[in-house]
Amino acid sequence: MWHDGWQMDMHDIKLTLALPHQAIYKSQGVVQVNIPAESGDMGVLANHVPAIEQLKPGMIEVVEDGGSSKRYFLSGGFATVQPGSVMSVNAVEGYPLEDFSADAVRAQITEAQKVANGGGSEQDVAEAKIELEVLESLQAVLK
Amino acid sequence: MVFAWKSAGLSYNRYLAIASRVVRRSLKEDKRIIAERRGETDLRFAKWSNGKQGESKNLVDANSSAMAANAGSSS
Repeated sequence: MWHDGWQMDMHDIKLTLALPHQAIYKSQGVVQVNIPAESGDMGVLANHVPAIEQLKPGMIEVVEDGGSSKRYFLSGGFATVQPGSVMSVNAVEGYPLEDFSADAVRAQITEAQKVANGGGSEQDVAEAKIELEVLESLQAVLK
Repeated sequence: MVFAWKSAGLSYNRYLAIASRVVRRSLKEDKRIIAERRGETDLRFAKWSNGKQGESKNLVDANSSAMAANAGSSS
């Protein structure tokens, strides 16, 4: 039957998820990768067309063989899909969701809001707005 | 499409550094302490022209003055 072959290797995509200091996945076969691209959230399966996507700070979900999925929050970077079901995701920081503290996120949102609405320099306000965007995205996925 | 960080005069590199810093600060205590050590950078550079080394500058200082100069001009 067709669905018996669904988890065969030829239907896997080889994922490398690398940070400057660590490789979370190293050319490992997985079923599906959902990424927060700037052009919109997208799911990548085997035999996807080649693509380069800039990533927003957000959650990446990796569906492994057997159907269990792992979720990480990335600080932003790039994903490339190459011919032959090969995918690379590069980001500066990335951690499993369970490594984050909801309290730390909440405290930083309060702090960043003060700066974003305060009378600081244009640069301070811009940085606070970036922080808010990241923190709100993080808070949404931690719920 | 113009990104908000770009119109504020920030480089993509700086934008990523800010986003990553805030991700590190959101970690649970034990992981945060290990991760935050990675965020510290200190680099000096000098521009060479006509075979002579120019003034040696701190990268962070040079970046922030360049950002202030670029603010609002890149729309």
